[in-house]
Amino acid sequence: MTTATTPSDPLARAMPERAGASPAPASSTHEEGTTPEPEREGALCLRRVGKRFGELIALDDVDLEVRRGEVHCLLGENGAGKSTLCNIVFGVQRPDTGTLTLLGEPYTPARPADALRAGVAMVHQHFSLVGDLSALDNFRLGRARRRSDELAAKARGLCERFGFSLELRRPVEQLSVGERQRVEIVKCLLDDPALLVLDEPTAVLPPPQIAGLLELCRQVAASGCAVLLVTHKLAEIGAVADRTSVLRRGRVVETVDMRGAQLDALVRSMVGREVRSLAATAASASSAPARAASGEALLEVEALRFEDRLGVERLDATFSVRRGEIVGLAGVEGNGQSELAAILSGMLKPASGHVRLAGRETTRSSPRELARLGVGCVSEDRHAVGCHLALSVAENLFLGSLERFTRFGWLDRSRMSQAAEAVLREHQVRGEARAPMSTLSGGNQQKVVLARELGLPGLAFLLAAQPTRGLDVGAVEAVYAQIREARGRGVGVLVISSELEELLSVSDRVLVMYRGRIVGDVPGGLEQHERVGSLMSGQGVDPIAGLGAAAAERAA
Amino acid sequence: MTALSSSEGSGLRTNAPRAGNPRPATTRIASLGVRAVPALCVLGALGLGLGLIALTGVPLARALPAFARGIVGSDYALVGSLMRAVPLSLIGLGYILAERANLTNVGGEGQLAVGGIASAAVALYGGAAALPRPLAFLAPLAAGALAGALWGALAGALKARRGSNEVITTLLLGFVGLQMVYGSVQSEALLRQPRTDSSTLPESLPLPAATELPLLARGSGLPLHVGLVIALLLAVLVGLLLAKSSLGLRLAAVGQNELASRRAGLRVKSLIVLALGASGALGGLAGAIMIQGDQHYLTAGFSSGFGFDGLVVGLLARGSAWQVPLFALLFGALRSGGLAMEMSAQVPAAVVLVCQGLIVVATAAAAALGRRRA
Repeated sequence: MTTATTPSDPLARAMPERAGASPAPASSTHEEGTTPEPEREGALCLRRVGKRFGELIALDDVDLEVRRGEVHCLLGENGAGKSTLCNIVFGVQRPDTGTLTLLGEPYTPARPADALRAGVAMVHQHFSLVGDLSALDNFRLGRARRRSDELAAKARGLCERFGFSLELRRPVEQLSVGERQRVEIVKCLLDDPALLVLDEPTAVLPPPQIAGLLELCRQVAASGCAVLLVTHKLAEIGAVADRTSVLRRGRVVETVDMRGAQLDALVRSMVGREVRSLAATAASASSAPARAASGEALLEVEALRFEDRLGVERLDATFSVRRGEIVGLAGVEGNGQSELAAILSGMLKPASGHVRLAGRETTRSSPRELARLGVGCVSEDRHAVGCHLALSVAENLFLGSLERFTRFGWLDRSRMSQAAEAVLREHQVRGEARAPMSTLSGGNQQKVVLARELGLPGLAFLLAAQPTRGLDVGAVEAVYAQIREARGRGVGVLVISSELEELLSVSDRVLVMYRGRIVGDVPGGLEQHERVGSLMSGQGVDPIAGLGAAAAERAA
Repeated sequence: MTALSSSEGSGLRTNAPRAGNPRPATTRIASLGVRAVPALCVLGALGLGLGLIALTGVPLARALPAFARGIVGSDYALVGSLMRAVPLSLIGLGYILAERANLTNVGGEGQLAVGGIASAAVALYGGAAALPRPLAFLAPLAAGALAGALWGALAGALKARRGSNEVITTLLLGFVGLQMVYGSVQSEALLRQPRTDSSTLPESLPLPAATELPLLARGSGLPLHVGLVIALLLAVLVGLLLAKSSLGLRLAAVGQNELASRRAGLRVKSLIVLALGASGALGGLAGAIMIQGDQHYLTAGFSSGFGFDGLVVGLLARGSAWQVPLFALLFGALRSGGLAMEMSAQVPAAVVLVCQGLIVVATAAAAALGRRRA
């Protein structure tokens, strides 16, 4: 896997100089006494780095070492702390605790300019290029002192080395997304960085170009630069990583050498190995399937397709949920679950396909119509979609049904608050009806949202997308207790979650989603852990090549 | 509980209808200090303005009394200030109504203009004069409000259907409305009075007496008309609507988070059209009141910047309906006093405008400072 660097390599030549300038006290930063190979010494080291945002612990004592010449992948779900970590490395944010060292020297960037000067370059998910300007002019931004022809020569040299061509003089906005990304990467490499950080670089790329990008990452690493690739896509890691660190809830769960590592093992450490205490679940889970089997089909999803703006297919799903059944939808994030949830909750229109509720077409119904039909939805993003943080708890509970408390346009707030207090007591929410929603803890906010949706008149189907995200164990219990209670009333439930254990223990049936398709349909229960885990990782299908058609066949 | 107080201190306060807890005593004292800041800002601006006037060579001893006389020097001046505040207040109310839904209606001037056209048209040619007494002046007022509502709702519909930015559409529709006034008094087929000679400016016939707004103090001969009552009633009504009605809560919800509102089952698009429509209706009504109460005929450019001053009134009131009439009064007084200073003390018009601008900036700065500290 390691490629020896050629002596003629400009990057490689730059590196030793940089390293030589600082007699690296490397021994202090290497905890494990293993003597690294010469070209594999640490470029960037994080020691016990922590960062809090108010109540939220974004990073919790993170230790990370990215070595020179390696592609180091940082794997984690949304909200695991990847972006915060990138921001700290690139000087956008400062850590609360811990230290960073770059090439053995203390590294405390206060702003991105410091990071660039120190030799850290970053390719952002959203490109930082000026669309009207040519690639060359973009290169010159912030490098006013360097001559244009010199920059052009250097850029051409880099392109040649990595085996692609770039239109240096055309406005960047006329280039394809893949070309723009290469411009961005070349721009970063012009300064011979010691570390190149790529934040979700493949998110914007159509699949055929992903392989090319990963190959480029390999080549950059081979030239002596350390590459930190942030992603939540497993397939890419298998293709490119030398080592992978798994970030979960702000902690580095493990760092794995990718030689001989199993992808599905990575999935498990990404979504959580320790089983959260779901004592009540275990008891009820065994009796559930029998009851579910008797239910009739309630929600039918047929060939539901969605493409993103780049024309990449994100979703192509067919499945059904019966009355009185909890169906779990498992999958590594970014495999189409969010799109499916948005379509089912009326917030997104699909490209084609059908959604039927009790035989009635609801494919393009608005959230309002869906609520009338008895479809409750707990949104994935509680703060952006699920609730109004600045409105009071009572207002949040009854925003969709204000008619109940309105006479001649006049809102009877005291009656609304009383009704809200009753709901809060019933659902054991700790909070005041008149207090702003933002004053409640995450768990209590989620309970309020769930109470609102469960309180819909004539509730028939409940969609719960990531209902336990950011909640502590107790709150998780409460949320699932309510969901099970709804099942008892004959409500059909679809739970989408990235917490695999929770999903397995609460669901009667688990569907596995991979690359937008349902690739597995297995009964619930923790004993299915291995099987679902391997389905989630695509089961060795070469996912970079295509859109998982093979996976779909395998599932069929 | 700490989280509660911190969120109250943030910008959320201005938009959110206050449900519940009265502020603790400490913040009340602190807010007294904050109240002083705006006053200081305005005083500073006045001082600057005075210096500017002195620089033009007009002795302050002559300019200042003229300014004061223009505002409160006589019953007539006082009524003039009050009557100028009426349309400003209505436009300001319209602004805060749309603002509640996080919409910025900067098209007050145009809504005022189309309201004036509709009012004049109905009063002159719609047979309003023949109606029984209250209807004779109410029908043109309603026509004005309706025209303004359509003007605002048009921008709302563009926003709801196409996502067009309402700042752009209301502003541009405003210019269209203004030019429509010019157009309609240029052509005899429309509203221009038939008698034409070179000395006649383009304007409509005078409105029939029956369609003029009734005067409140008929014996005194003061032009104190019923528009004042309408404006005050509407201030109360808008205040109640925003604070106490379901619609007010829905507008606030849309204003804070459109996605979450849609998810909660609100008709977000209809609410956007409604908010801008209602906002425009208040502007149209202001135009009708200016025509039927003050001017008595439609002339080109009759709106003379009231729409934009009203926008500033709405901005400064920061979402509070009861503050709108107060700021409207301030601006009405500024207009009256400025006019008097220009006419009787020969302070150049440009300098008067600069002084008014300084006060606007100072008030806005004070408001922003107050918001940050509160």
